[in-house]
Amino acid sequence: MDGVVSYQRFPKIKIREVKDEYLKFELRETDASVANALRRVMISEVPTIAIDLVEIEVNSSVLNDEFIAHRLGLIPLTSDRAMSMRFSRDCDACDGDGQCEYCSVEFQLSVRCDQDQTLDVTSQDLISLDPSVVPVDVAARSTSSGFDATENRGIIIVKLRRGQELRLRAIARKGIGKDHAKWSPAATVTFMYEPDIHINEDMMESLSLEDKRNWVESSPTKVFDIDPSTHQVVVVDPEAYTYDEEVIKKAEAMGKPGLVEIYAKDTDFIFTVESTGAIKSSQLVLNAIQVLKQKLDAVRLTEDTEEADEQFGELGAHMRGG
Amino acid sequence: MDSQPEPVSYICGDCGMENTLKPGDVIQCRECGYRILYKKRTRRIVQYEAR
Repeated sequence: MDGVVSYQRFPKIKIREVKDEYLKFELRETDASVANALRRVMISEVPTIAIDLVEIEVNSSVLNDEFIAHRLGLIPLTSDRAMSMRFSRDCDACDGDGQCEYCSVEFQLSVRCDQDQTLDVTSQDLISLDPSVVPVDVAARSTSSGFDATENRGIIIVKLRRGQELRLRAIARKGIGKDHAKWSPAATVTFMYEPDIHINEDMMESLSLEDKRNWVESSPTKVFDIDPSTHQVVVVDPEAYTYDEEVIKKAEAMGKPGLVEIYAKDTDFIFTVESTGAIKSSQLVLNAIQVLKQKLDAVRLTEDTEEADEQFGELGAHMRGG
Repeated sequence: MDSQPEPVSYICGDCGMENTLKPGDVIQCRECGYRILYKKRTRRIVQYEAR
């Protein structure tokens, strides 16, 4: 189109494994900038709900007020509603003190120890005024999915001895991981380049079986194996390769440089996503894409500005794929 | 918050007597004259950011 080269590509996603809190997928036909943008958005820009304000009425526990407030903030809460909620800073229906259904959720906690045994105050003692926003382990217990529900006794906030008491009100708000890590829905998000492994078959056949075994064993992860019937070296798991180059060094040490060539395909990525449980891992990816699109919309230029500015015109054409 | 703020009380480090201090007062127990006083926790609600 008008001699402008199109850089537009149509990335493809193939999902390999989905669990509530774990997702593995392939992202193909794009480049590292897109893959890394997606990773970073998942970690720090997908909103969740977390306790942000704590009003302590009574605290005679061994932990000080600030310490308890911080611990409450770190408890992951079910955040399926977060995308449609408002940030309390741009909520005009309230003054952000927890009375507003659009931007905040109130929690209450009131525990007193009247026994000789130490009493654990856990996330299960947090009473939510909104049943859709509860600590993730409480939600997991009621559905008995996810991690082992029988062993689940909640997240310990503090321990009380006889006579000690903790009474407070907490307000949870929507936020993003960039503001504070407590709002990050991601436990880990990683991607790796898909490796492209080429074995020089002729050179490989010049090795003895013993040498082949030594060479296969030189890889710290099980990438290669020897076919028991044909005695040929085969790639069993290319993704196990950690780019350690041990097999390449081994080949050189054996006097066979070029025995294997391994490239990283710079257009194909394998993602591993682990969620904190605040939202499902699959929803985390979808929300990340939505956030990324919103960010692009903010950058996208209007018709008249792109015609007015030659430099931006090219950028506009690029983004439209023109 | 409260209609009339409750005065802050302090406990004497020596005799354990409860003292109330106002701004400008000498920090000293009214009972025994001991000069180390411990502040009692307020009964008011205290607010913290969970960060």
